[in-house]
Amino acid sequence: MYRSPPGARGFLIAIGLLGGALIAATLLGLLMFWALQAAFPRPIDQAYPGYLVLVFATLLLIPILVMLGRRVPYLTDWYYLLPAITFLLAFTVFPIILTVYYAFTDYSGIRNGKPDRSTETQVVRSEGRNLFVDGDAHDLLRCDQPDCAGQALEITTLTQRARVRVEQATGGILTLTAPPPFTPELIYKINEFRFIGFRNFIEIFSRASTILIPVLIWNIVFAVGAVLVGAIPGLILGLILNNKNLALRGFYRTALIISWAIPVVISVQIFTAMLNVQFGPINRLLGLLGAYPIPWLTDPEWFKVSALLISLWLGFPYWMTATLGALSTIPDDVYEAAKIDGASGWQTLTYITLPLLRQPFIPLVLGSFAFNFNNFGLIYLMGPQPGVEGRPSTAQAADILITWAYKTAFQADGGQAYGLGGAISILIFFLTVAISLINFRFTGALKEVR
Amino acid sequence: MGALVRFFGWATLGLIAAWLIFIYIPNLLGRIQPNIPPGFVRVENGWVYALGGLLVTVGFILAYAWLVTSIGNKRTGRKRSLWPLFGQGLTHLFLLLVLLFAYYPVLQILAASFDPRNTLYRILPPASDNLLVQARVVPDFSQLSWENYLQLFDGIIIYPYQTLMLLLAAGCLLLALVLAAYRQIIGDNSSNSGWGWLQGRSLAAFAILGFLLVVFISPSQFTGQGTESRFVLWVRNTLFVSGITGILAVLLTATAGYAFARFNFPGRYPMLLVFIFVQMFPGFLGLIATYVLISNLGLLNTFTGLVLAYSGGIISFGTWVYKGFLESISKSLEEAALIDGASKWQVFTKILMPLSAPIFVFIFLLQFVGTYSEFIVANLFLTGVDSWTVGMGLRNFTTGQFSTRWGLFAAASVLGSLPILLIFYGFQRYFVSGYTAGSVKE
Repeated sequence: MYRSPPGARGFLIAIGLLGGALIAATLLGLLMFWALQAAFPRPIDQAYPGYLVLVFATLLLIPILVMLGRRVPYLTDWYYLLPAITFLLAFTVFPIILTVYYAFTDYSGIRNGKPDRSTETQVVRSEGRNLFVDGDAHDLLRCDQPDCAGQALEITTLTQRARVRVEQATGGILTLTAPPPFTPELIYKINEFRFIGFRNFIEIFSRASTILIPVLIWNIVFAVGAVLVGAIPGLILGLILNNKNLALRGFYRTALIISWAIPVVISVQIFTAMLNVQFGPINRLLGLLGAYPIPWLTDPEWFKVSALLISLWLGFPYWMTATLGALSTIPDDVYEAAKIDGASGWQTLTYITLPLLRQPFIPLVLGSFAFNFNNFGLIYLMGPQPGVEGRPSTAQAADILITWAYKTAFQADGGQAYGLGGAISILIFFLTVAISLINFRFTGALKEVR
Repeated sequence: MGALVRFFGWATLGLIAAWLIFIYIPNLLGRIQPNIPPGFVRVENGWVYALGGLLVTVGFILAYAWLVTSIGNKRTGRKRSLWPLFGQGLTHLFLLLVLLFAYYPVLQILAASFDPRNTLYRILPPASDNLLVQARVVPDFSQLSWENYLQLFDGIIIYPYQTLMLLLAAGCLLLALVLAAYRQIIGDNSSNSGWGWLQGRSLAAFAILGFLLVVFISPSQFTGQGTESRFVLWVRNTLFVSGITGILAVLLTATAGYAFARFNFPGRYPMLLVFIFVQMFPGFLGLIATYVLISNLGLLNTFTGLVLAYSGGIISFGTWVYKGFLESISKSLEEAALIDGASKWQVFTKILMPLSAPIFVFIFLLQFVGTYSEFIVANLFLTGVDSWTVGMGLRNFTTGQFSTRWGLFAAASVLGSLPILLIFYGFQRYFVSGYTAGSVKE
């Protein structure tokens, strides 16, 4: 049998070797990809697909790992973790790092670092560092600076593409900072995004009183409210259905979890139709009871109430099941003893059942709070929200932090400000970590890991 | 000190309650406009009638309980109280009201799916003498038809071999269901018995046939005109993506969970922490970056790209759950095998994997169901009607020309929820135990 060097040294060696292998394989894969492109050029509109890099890297990684495993036998323990780690790195950690980076830039729908195809310009002639175009270079390329100084361009031929930078432009002559690697046929302006430091965060906090603070307060109210409206009815139903003398108990149990079993993407949309002011079945039912049409989805405050109502419908089966599960672990003799001591039903409930439910409920409550804190699906799928004066369309009455971030980053009316959205994401991340740390402290989950 | 904290807690609660009752709720009620739109049925003081009806029902229950207990007492000569029976009756009444609340949306959507007219946005009330039908609280069943459903299946060409596979799959499922019912009746709980073996095999055959069917359906079979005729294709896309994502989730988490549960390598604890904390970054907010990554890999608008984007989601949780499961299994068998010269890999594949089937099913189903309901990532990555998922298609019905497509939306909702509904009720045991084992762990 083999043994790993103990402690931090063993850990660092393993991480270093594995990380080195991954990086080496990726770089070699990239080199092979470029070599392929150079050796067998293809027209740029049907270029080699980028995933070939992954294929090459995987093909290279396997022999590297086998070799490493022979030399350093204890590393094979880590191979069991490697698939999970690789996917986490590629599709979770890497995007996180990139998002953090974008949070400090002005990356947006317009400034996305891609060539602007509408600025396509023919190159008439090229001579060393100078490119000649037909017409005024500044007008054709719509440069940010009057003399195009520092403007990034993409130059292409049928099979090649490269990025260059302009030193200055006068009339129809573009002077590049360095001679182009090939003779270009077409040039495009690149909409670069720039590093802007903490400006995104400053923007968030400078308008905190109109956006961040109300959104955060509603977010917390919503998360607490959603837990309460789900947990209290669920608890009551669980207590009722735990009564072994109740007829049809199994039927009620099975029938009542229906709202848990319907995909949320469908049920929330059903509810938005049900809550229609004029035509929705819910208002029609209330109308029979003497109510005037309630503006469920058209009034900012009622929209929040609707969000909680839908949470109630979606949430109570989970809590009912959880209550029944927790109650089934309480032994019967506790109740028998209480009966012998002459406790009434109410006393049994308040002095025995509820205190015994507290322990298993703490992690569930905290977990549910964390889930609802970022309950994007519910709020977003409820559709367009009524406007609130003085707030942007990305952060309306019932928007929580996460929908605000999403709308800022992806919706046209938010300007697709990815940078700003990334900054909000970082705030959400810190809040989530704080909630989870409290969660771990109460549940002792981290101690258990050791 | 404790008393002081308790006092302040209750005081804050009281303040919040007072604010709710005296400021917030009046404000909310003030926002309701007292006007009645055309076609809206309002009964002045209707709640009085409803409450009266409820009280009459309670009275009936009381009378029934009194009658039954007094007859029983007379016959047996015992003196039993009528209150327990009355309480049972009240409980049932309450549970029926809860059932009504839970099923009201389901009922409305079912009724709308069979109604070829657009019941939601029609101003004219149905011609009926019944007040409930007139108010459209109880759906109008006068014009039931399959038209909405037929539109979803319009112009689909099914090849004979696909029909055969469909029939075979249905047969396997039916066999499994019948066997499950039969075993329930004869009280056969062991999975080693002949019937249990057959049930497992027929379920597996159903899964394989279903998967093959999903793979072999192609967009060219859908020749209907409207977008709604692609509905089956959307279901197929969603099932395909969900299935692959689920399998990938099991493959990625199994070995990692094994390593965390059984190996004692240096760095195990920090790695576990990394796994937990990475998960806390709001998943789809890395979406911009994931989008850039997938776009650079040239996998936009492909199912591969979508599956890769989903794959990160469950790794931490799945690893955590599987690690917890393995830690609850005794090590003695493995230790014996190790002494006999088995490698760690052999121990994993030969001993632990067969034991882990239930938890693999749980991880698979969790990821499957989660992916099935997912909408945001799919919406960003997939373009073109032929590669939409169910969620995207439904969203299209509701955001596009909603007023004219309510019936279609209803029919699509019913059919679209069926797979998940079946899975949920079929594997209820796995879900409930998996969730509670994951969270209610002491």
